[in-house]
Amino acid sequence: MGHFTLDIVTPTQNLDVIEVNYVRCPGIDGSFGIMANHQDGVFSLDIGEIMIQSESDTKFYSTSGGFAEINENEVCLLVETIESSSDIDISRAESALQRVNERKTKRNVEDVDEVRMESSLSRALNRLRVAKR
Amino acid sequence: MANLKDIRDRIKSVKSIQKVTKAMKMVAAAKMRKAQERMEQARPYTYRLVNVIHHLLPDVNRALLPLLDIRPIQRVGYVVVTSDRGLAGSFNTNIIKKAELEINEIGKENVDLFCIGKKARDYFTRRNYNIIQSHIEFWNDLEFQHATKIGEKIINHFVSKKVDEIHVCYNEFVNVATQTIQSEQLLPLEYNQEESSNVSNRLYEPSKEKLTKSLIPRHLNVQMWKYLLESYASEQAARMIAMENATDNAEDMVKNLTLEFNKARQASITKEMLEIVGGAEALK
Repeated sequence: MGHFTLDIVTPTQNLDVIEVNYVRCPGIDGSFGIMANHQDGVFSLDIGEIMIQSESDTKFYSTSGGFAEINENEVCLLVETIESSSDIDISRAESALQRVNERKTKRNVEDVDEVRMESSLSRALNRLRVAKR
Repeated sequence: MANLKDIRDRIKSVKSIQKVTKAMKMVAAAKMRKAQERMEQARPYTYRLVNVIHHLLPDVNRALLPLLDIRPIQRVGYVVVTSDRGLAGSFNTNIIKKAELEINEIGKENVDLFCIGKKARDYFTRRNYNIIQSHIEFWNDLEFQHATKIGEKIINHFVSKKVDEIHVCYNEFVNVATQTIQSEQLLPLEYNQEESSNVSNRLYEPSKEKLTKSLIPRHLNVQMWKYLLESYASEQAARMIAMENATDNAEDMVKNLTLEFNKARQASITKEMLEIVGGAEALK
């Protein structure tokens, strides 16, 4: 199977460039896979799970969105956060979940930012889901 | 001539202040190094994001995106990035002066202010400027989330058409000895027409418009993050230099005071000797 280089960049950390065979990303309209010699392009990513398959192993990461850029068989994931399934802070995600639920129950008391709450909820759920991998 | 005891006390106090400034200098140096590292880490992300946006923008209809909307300028938003604490040389003074100058050019009553850091908040509150929001006391545990949070408020202010332009005044970190004051336009987003080369045969998913819509807020977050990091690094660098100067000055003061002290001591000995000699002479 052909392989290509994958570069993962976030505002706070830069992961090492690695050689991989297959990457599955959470696109806005459903997840999609990237293999070697993919057509160039830019793809928006949603909150979700990134799966990275290399020669030796398969790894899972959670992300809170960003985008992927493919340029001549070099793939770059520009995401705001990325955590490998083993690094996820489960207690933090759980407390975020709890916070959202608390806010939902007393919604009419104060005006709550609906959009922010939803995205915070889906981030927390996603982290918990990926952490179980 | 000053009293011997007075001089001795002064030497003591100057020396203890010197110890404090020395310690502050070292703390600032350590913090600056950390901030610099973070700046390095943020750079690739910013660079690539800007690249992609530059490719996209020429093909996108500006009217579709509220963040690209160019309106006639009636009200302007200003974001002034300062520190929470002083003792950093002219770091805060310069940035506030520059911001005030620009604001007064537009007219105090036409400007909405976002103050980042206590120093800006205090200064502009005292002078009755129109402060929409201030963010203070987060510098010590600066995280990317802070940038997103601050950015969100500012962007909302622009999108809801309360202001027609947003400017940011911050200190840019050039190197340890130099920080330059920058005043940039954050919104509406500008781009360089010439730089954007057209790359054909590229897939954009979802549509270019939707992509731009999701990219631009991210871009602004990163921009905000950059401002915060630059300012933080500059603050620490400015403090480091200020404290180094203070330490050197204390050193000089101790030197001069010691000289004065010795002179005074010698003068008093001479005086005593003269008195003894005079006394002995009188007895003859």
